[in-house]
Amino acid sequence: MEGKVIFGKREAISILLVLICNQLILGFPSIMSNSVGSAGWIMTIYVSIITLCLFLIMAKLYSAFEGKDLLDIGEFVGGNIIRIIVGLLVVIDTVFLISIKLREYTEHIKIISFTQSPVSFITLFFTLGMIISVYYGIEPLVRSASIVVPVVAVGIIIVVAGSVKNFEFSNIMPILGTGPYDIFVGGLPRISIYSGLLPLFFIPPFMGGYKDIKEIGILAIIISSVVLTLGILAYLLVFPYPTSANSVLPFFELSRVLEYGRFFQRIESVFLLTWSLAGMIYLSSGLYFIVYVFSKTFRLKYYRPLIIPFTLIIFASSLIPKSLIEIMYIDNKIIRYYSWIITFGMTLILLVIARLVKRKKRGMAKNGK
Amino acid sequence: MGSKTRKIFIVLIVLIMCFSMTGCFDKREVDDLVNPIAIGLDKGRNRSIRMTLQIAIPTKVAGGGEGGGGGGGKESVSYTTVEAPSIYSGLNMINTYVSKQLNMSQIKVLVFSEELAREGIEKYVNSLMRGREFRPNSYLLVARGSGNAAERYLRAVEPELESNPAKYYEMVLSAYSYTGFSSNTTLVNFYKNMVSESSQPLAVLADISKFENSDDINMDNSTYREKGRDFPLEGDFKAGDMPKVGTIKSEIMGLAVFNGAKMVGEFDGEETQLQLMLEGDFGYSYVTIPDPIAEDYVVLLSIRQNRKPKRTVEMIDEKPNIKVKIYLEADILSIQSGINYESIDKVKILEDSAEEFIEKDLAKMLEKTAKEFKSDTPGFGKEMKGKFLTWDEWINFNWIEKYPESKFEVDVDLKIRRPGLMLRTYPATGIEVGEE
Amino acid sequence: MADFKKLMKDIFAFKEPKPQEEFILKEKESEKIDGGEGANEKAPEKKKKGLFKNFFVNGEKKDGDSKNENDSPEKMVYVSKNLDENVNYLKKRFSIPTNGDVVLREFDIVVKDKKIPACLIFYDGMVNGMLINLNILQPLMLLSNLDIKDKDGENNISEYIHRSLVTHNQVKVSREFDEIVGEINFGGCGVFIDGIETAYACDVKGWQHRSVDRPNNEIVIRGPQESFNEILRVNTALIRKILKDEDLVAESIEIGARSKTPCSMLYIKDIANESLVAEVRRRLKSIKTDYIFDTGELEQYIEDNTIMSTPQIVATERPDRVASMLAEGKVAVIMSGSPFALVMPTTNNDFLQSAEDSYVRFPYANLLRVMRVIAIFMSLLLPGLYVAITNYHHEMIPTDLLFAIEASRERVPFPSVVEIIIMEFAFELIREAGLRVPSPIGPTLGIIGALILGQAAVAANIVSPILIIVVAVTGIGSFAIPNFSLGFSFRILRFAYVFLAAMAGFLGITFGLFVQSIILCNAKSFGVPFMAPFGPKTNSGFQDQFFRSPIWKQEKRPDFLNTKDTRKQPKISRQWIKGNKKK
Repeated sequence: MEGKVIFGKREAISILLVLICNQLILGFPSIMSNSVGSAGWIMTIYVSIITLCLFLIMAKLYSAFEGKDLLDIGEFVGGNIIRIIVGLLVVIDTVFLISIKLREYTEHIKIISFTQSPVSFITLFFTLGMIISVYYGIEPLVRSASIVVPVVAVGIIIVVAGSVKNFEFSNIMPILGTGPYDIFVGGLPRISIYSGLLPLFFIPPFMGGYKDIKEIGILAIIISSVVLTLGILAYLLVFPYPTSANSVLPFFELSRVLEYGRFFQRIESVFLLTWSLAGMIYLSSGLYFIVYVFSKTFRLKYYRPLIIPFTLIIFASSLIPKSLIEIMYIDNKIIRYYSWIITFGMTLILLVIARLVKRKKRGMAKNGK
Repeated sequence: MGSKTRKIFIVLIVLIMCFSMTGCFDKREVDDLVNPIAIGLDKGRNRSIRMTLQIAIPTKVAGGGEGGGGGGGKESVSYTTVEAPSIYSGLNMINTYVSKQLNMSQIKVLVFSEELAREGIEKYVNSLMRGREFRPNSYLLVARGSGNAAERYLRAVEPELESNPAKYYEMVLSAYSYTGFSSNTTLVNFYKNMVSESSQPLAVLADISKFENSDDINMDNSTYREKGRDFPLEGDFKAGDMPKVGTIKSEIMGLAVFNGAKMVGEFDGEETQLQLMLEGDFGYSYVTIPDPIAEDYVVLLSIRQNRKPKRTVEMIDEKPNIKVKIYLEADILSIQSGINYESIDKVKILEDSAEEFIEKDLAKMLEKTAKEFKSDTPGFGKEMKGKFLTWDEWINFNWIEKYPESKFEVDVDLKIRRPGLMLRTYPATGIEVGEE
Repeated sequence: MADFKKLMKDIFAFKEPKPQEEFILKEKESEKIDGGEGANEKAPEKKKKGLFKNFFVNGEKKDGDSKNENDSPEKMVYVSKNLDENVNYLKKRFSIPTNGDVVLREFDIVVKDKKIPACLIFYDGMVNGMLINLNILQPLMLLSNLDIKDKDGENNISEYIHRSLVTHNQVKVSREFDEIVGEINFGGCGVFIDGIETAYACDVKGWQHRSVDRPNNEIVIRGPQESFNEILRVNTALIRKILKDEDLVAESIEIGARSKTPCSMLYIKDIANESLVAEVRRRLKSIKTDYIFDTGELEQYIEDNTIMSTPQIVATERPDRVASMLAEGKVAVIMSGSPFALVMPTTNNDFLQSAEDSYVRFPYANLLRVMRVIAIFMSLLLPGLYVAITNYHHEMIPTDLLFAIEASRERVPFPSVVEIIIMEFAFELIREAGLRVPSPIGPTLGIIGALILGQAAVAANIVSPILIIVVAVTGIGSFAIPNFSLGFSFRILRFAYVFLAAMAGFLGITFGLFVQSIILCNAKSFGVPFMAPFGPKTNSGFQDQFFRSPIWKQEKRPDFLNTKDTRKQPKISRQWIKGNKKK
């Protein structure tokens, strides 16, 4: 690796925000409304609270391992084997995620304005952007993330604020949507929407101490929960339930009905600009994450030679799903149901075991003395 | 350094190769496209539809390359009608003989003929919402009359003040904020209401003028008799019936009421105003009120709605009991009788009579929606929806079927705020010269 | 074939990067987040490792001299006692008599009935003749006979002459020939005297030069109206005049093996970060070239990234601007013969600011800033956006405008990309030609170019009128950028954006923006990240970032410069506010 790269809190939060909130632009609002009807926003808040609690537990467990990332902890627990297992799990999970998201972004942009272009042409722009940015390393990536995030935020605020006049409070009305069971029990696997937190446990070597990590995590969860809730609330307030559940591109739909007077109509293409910018940052940081974890897992000295092979893998696997419907099915039914297993499940188990191992070691050391 | 420059060079070559191989798929020059601004759908023969496109000719609209202000009106647009099994197949057919590719992103109005609307327009609205090019905020119109009403209407549109008919549509359809005679019936609203189980969609009524010259004008089609009035007020008309002549043939007034996706009836201008008041979208408008004291005289008020109406729905004996309270403000524009309504003690009389006048019409209009149309156009279901906790309960409740049994309690709260520039009307002085 | 194989291998095989240590402006000890690994490395250590190998180990020139000696054995290193030897050597070295403007004047000094031969050498035209006549020749030739109270005069003639005879203020005494010759080359007058093994170099520079003038390129309405000229000392004096601070150090550095162009590296000793100063010094001293003519060249020698289109060093002709940047903790380099000073490190913000910003009141300055940022985006993206919108995203054009564009393009035969490239090219042509034409014709050409060409192109249906507006606005936007080189870089990038937009509309533009932001965020100027206040977000203590806060609120120096003294002014700089309250 190239020396120590240190980046600040704000950069870390912005990159996590991009990782988590990008789904607002993708199908998230309509998926939420699909599963619990008009109560999608309640579920978002509920899930955020659960995630926050989980994170606090994890942060507590993590506090003993300051400055180490999950791989180091894995090694601490069970030597090379656990480290490699953890690393491979993370890499495979992320490769799967990124290739699906790559395709999703591509398909969405294709629907929005490139109806005639082949998928690979649009994917090409994303992959090229990924390659170039990952080549330069993580530093410029997080820096541009911290520059881009406000721009994207302004874009989202414009959409939300512009649709205020279309708000109708009766649209969120059966307040519990399809029922409390769906929200509070069926919603549990939905903590997967925060699966973007995973990289947080890999950045300690780039960052300051444990306190920073905890603070970053909490802030990232809170800000993104606010953003997601506001976004989905705005969407649900404009589109009543049965309509809201069947939109392919919810936020695009929202921006389509945006009107600022007679002149500023039909400005949704402008959001294509900010959204694909966010998408590029999301995908590139995903790729960097993959390459970084892989090279660290196998103790490789350089990560750059890995960029092209992994990009090819992602590119190729993103072309596997046959249609947008399949992609949306995967996104809705697999990623948003099961991706918590890696982010929260695996991390939690690993941390608990590590804690136990540490205690045992300490105990042994004491006994030895 | 050498390896670095070479790397950059290689990246550049790869880029150029990639892009030269792919090419520009979606690239369309502006002048390779033609932009229809309105689309009309009529019932065709067999199962097909008859589609009329109103196409703006940009060189005429914008004045063309050099010199020559664009001639407004008819020359700036061209029409084409085609019979096709569906909207998109019709576009395909039109593309074969219109030299440029059709781009529907500038469509401002979608006109359905009454015949088609009464048959149901669900499939068309769905396909329009699905297509990316059609704008969700283009207006939905229903052209009155039998046969090819939509085509007839579109061909009659001859904007006079604008060279660009697109602007005509935009302006004329947003005029409801100061007339109250039409409503915001954009495609997306229509679709939302159509799918919703708590409200029903509406569309603006459009038609062409029936009268050729002023001598032909008659009030036969006015709705004033149904309402039990002696003479028609300004709102007692629907599009096409307005007693007017002029170069502008096209008219927009009133609303088509849908039940589900089928048109079931019509609102005239006044009912449209009331509908807007119920929804809280009523901007301001001049309203004529019969003089409470002096018969045969009228009082003119400029009425505004500044607060959203208060609407409550309760279930009494399994029947919805709907209470509406509407808050209005008014300025006096004219008191024909000269009675001093501006004074503190008399203003109440005027207010009361205006309230009563509106309440009466409102009750009648609501009865009409429930009994005649069986369609919850004001969307009282939205109020009912809030009383349920979960979606399944609400769906099982089945509001749409319950609505026709509703009972209405209407309350209008009208306050006269300003008397205009005059504090009192002075009668004209003169000697009455009787006829000998 | 083998070559081809090698080429392929070069392209695709991974080569281990050469270990290079990059210069990064480290946080100060007190500011460090965690003191974990390797603290501040000391500057001298770094010197040895850098990009350029350091030839001047101690920063002295002896090394170079000894090398020269090896090159030509005849070369004299030290001034000889024998005047004839010196004269012969000088004649050879200065190619006298072939070289017409060298004046070698031999004369005698009469000291106590003794005639000592001596000679003067200088370049005609580079010296002030009156000074030589009055202050060198006159005392040596006429006044040397005066009875001067000096005990050991005989012994130490050299000291005597230096101390008592030459009535000139700047005299350098040296044994080394190269030093003397260097002075002569730079408008000095060399004095050689028989029997002394030292020579004198008197500073009698008197060449013709521009006086301090109004700035030509960075014009402001409010603020000082002086600019640098070509004279090094005048320039340093201009800065000193503004700063009036003895902590301002003007370190002299010579660049160019042959030209020995004097440069001055300026910094405020107790503000500027030491390692930054050391890095600048290291880069300047490590330049090996024969001649250097202008700071424009120097900039290219010392900047971090040559290929990136964005400049990384500010060049300014305004002493006040240099002074204010020095006060922030930056380092400036002035070079003899160049009316532009280089200031480094530079961040993206410095290019957006004009000298005027701090002189006008703060609401005005902020309006200007916003205007400038809009101008930048216009000059960078407008043609690209036009192409993208008219080719891919028609639906976002308002109907009336769409019809107008459609109508105006109706008879234009070219696709809009070609159209815009033609016009951009024409505009660049007018710009370039406008510089070259003799000044009386200049404005005429501008009018012909802009008006007639545009008008005729529209009339001939080669371009559409809306496009002329786009190109013109773009051009005006690029002039609103305060920094000339930044404007230049955007002029180049603009074409890239046009191509990207033609390829994939907004997606292409987004791609371009993304890559550009990555490259800009990656760039560093003397160890400071280029996008500093935004890219890595630094503490907001420095209030002069994108918007400028009122002047009394700007309490701190930029955080990313890691200055020794972070505070510019106390929390309450307007003490009168406090005073009022007490009353």
